[in-house]
Amino acid sequence: MALSKEQLIKLYTNLVRARKADEVCVKGLHEGKVVCFFHSGQGEEAVGVGGCTFLRKDDYIYAQHRGHGIAHTLGKGASPKGFIAEHYGKATGAAGGIAGFHAAEPELGILGGAGTIGSTFPVALGWGLAAKKRGKGQVVVAFFGDGASNRGTLHEAMNLAALWKLPIVWVCHNNLYAQWMPIKDAYSREDIADLAAGYGMPGVVVDGQDVIAVHEAVQAAVGRARAGEGPSLIECKTYRFRAHNEGSRDIAHADPRPPEEIEAWKKRDPIKLFQERLLEQGVLTGEDVERIDGEATAEMEEAERFAMGSPLPDPSVLEKLLYAD
Amino acid sequence: MREIGYIQAMNEALAEEMERDETVFVIGEDVQAGVFGPTRGLVQKFGPERIMDTPLSETAVAGACVGAAMAGYRPIADFMFADFMFIAANEIINNAAKWHFIHGGKVNLPLVFFACVGGFARVGPEHSQCPESIYMHTPGLKLVLPATPYDAKGLLKTAIRDNNPVVYFYHKRLLGLVGGVPEEEYTVPFGVADVKREGADVTVVATAYMVKLALDVAKELEGKVSLEVVDPRTLEPLDIETIVSSVKKTGRVVIVDEDTRRCSVSAEIGMQIMEKAFDSLDAPIQRVGARNMPIAGAFMEQYVLPQPRDIVAAIEVVTGKRLA
Repeated sequence: MALSKEQLIKLYTNLVRARKADEVCVKGLHEGKVVCFFHSGQGEEAVGVGGCTFLRKDDYIYAQHRGHGIAHTLGKGASPKGFIAEHYGKATGAAGGIAGFHAAEPELGILGGAGTIGSTFPVALGWGLAAKKRGKGQVVVAFFGDGASNRGTLHEAMNLAALWKLPIVWVCHNNLYAQWMPIKDAYSREDIADLAAGYGMPGVVVDGQDVIAVHEAVQAAVGRARAGEGPSLIECKTYRFRAHNEGSRDIAHADPRPPEEIEAWKKRDPIKLFQERLLEQGVLTGEDVERIDGEATAEMEEAERFAMGSPLPDPSVLEKLLYAD
Repeated sequence: MREIGYIQAMNEALAEEMERDETVFVIGEDVQAGVFGPTRGLVQKFGPERIMDTPLSETAVAGACVGAAMAGYRPIADFMFADFMFIAANEIINNAAKWHFIHGGKVNLPLVFFACVGGFARVGPEHSQCPESIYMHTPGLKLVLPATPYDAKGLLKTAIRDNNPVVYFYHKRLLGLVGGVPEEEYTVPFGVADVKREGADVTVVATAYMVKLALDVAKELEGKVSLEVVDPRTLEPLDIETIVSSVKKTGRVVIVDEDTRRCSVSAEIGMQIMEKAFDSLDAPIQRVGARNMPIAGAFMEQYVLPQPRDIVAAIEVVTGKRLA
């Protein structure tokens, strides 16, 4: 189903918001305000935004660690306030300032994530199992990177998800690097989507810089999942514009990433590509672009002010948080 | 009170809690057949969607429970052998134990990691461990080790109702144990030790199968030395107060724990006694546990695992009496 003008603008707006929120954390890290670490997701926003913006509120998402999930969680309806406040270590953060980079917004189907890569698969399997047991048509969209695809947990969880026909959409950000390991030295084939055939589920490759392509592929898989037809795997070919984590060297193995590779991918900036398309189609005008940019900037400035003005967590909460009542 | 077996006690707890709460389900390898028995017969009552057989996929089973728990269910992951839980260490130690805490308490993980522990079956090092020290060491998990049918049932019901990840270890050498279990509904609270035998001369702290060995030794030594056997029943939360008050009465303590002695539960409990009751001690604390090596199989097992004679030897040390 074609997207309405409002929906197209929403996708575009979410891309811009995700980029700007990411920029706040990049800057914040270098200024010492982000007290944990930060793995920028700039360049990969179309995957999270395209995959999450038109899900149901009660669908579950497992955000990927690029941008610490900001493109995914903003897409799902979370506020950047909790995201930035968490990175600033504040009590108003999306994990109460306890984690420094996690986010849980249970009322939005955001139940959090783990710091160990590849934890996604078994945990998302459990959400899918719960969704199927509940029988309300909920789906799980689980994002992971090419690095995670090398974990054995993928096999166990994808096998069971397919066997039990669970409503799970597995979405891979293939950004060509697992930390500093190029995918060509980590995987013997070209496409991670090929793995799907081994589990008897559909596997497709899409242009991860094209938010509409991601959106359409995810929605098709979501439709299958809601209809009880089981899981799907979508591989989004994408690229991170910045280093693995902010402040680290931008390398492949021990050498700098090829500058021509970075430049080529920057020409395929997902925001720029979509903006050009919407301007060409007359969905957006130049004024709209400026307005959306200004509103997103103002939103992030306000979120940052909110974070700066928020208190640190009271250390006495740590003891209370160890166990639930 | 009627008498039933340790297995039947756990089976009743599972059936009653599944009856009581439809969000409870069991998942693992061959749980429908029930390798050690606790889940046997439940699939006929509750169906394969609540007694879910899986292939050999420990990480997926553990992670599925982590996920399902935070999405509104109360799963029980049955690992068969506790040794197999190491395969899913990331899901248990990194995911389950930390999730509630690190997400600011916004999500709860009411789940049970259920497994059979222990040696004395001569089945070698990957089917005989009592790995409780690792789970006691991990903040965010609760840890249960029932030593009797009564405790097995009451603690399992409490574990299923708890809103946190609970590691529940039953012991393979207790599977044939029969004991009193009331017909009527009851639960056993966490964090309440049980004095399994009162005595005056030496406090013996023991868990799981070691409780039975300690009680056997206490009986054997009757008339020579009076042993008080304290079973913490849960190691997290740990009822150190009951242990300490027993030590204050006897002045002597032996801690018996089947796990490998180095960095074991006995080391932790011993240190806590030192911190809380040093002035009451009339002799250095003694520990009995497995030697610092993998648990050998076949006939060599007995030279690694703690034996009743080791308990007697430790009691000789704390009392200064020759007892053997």
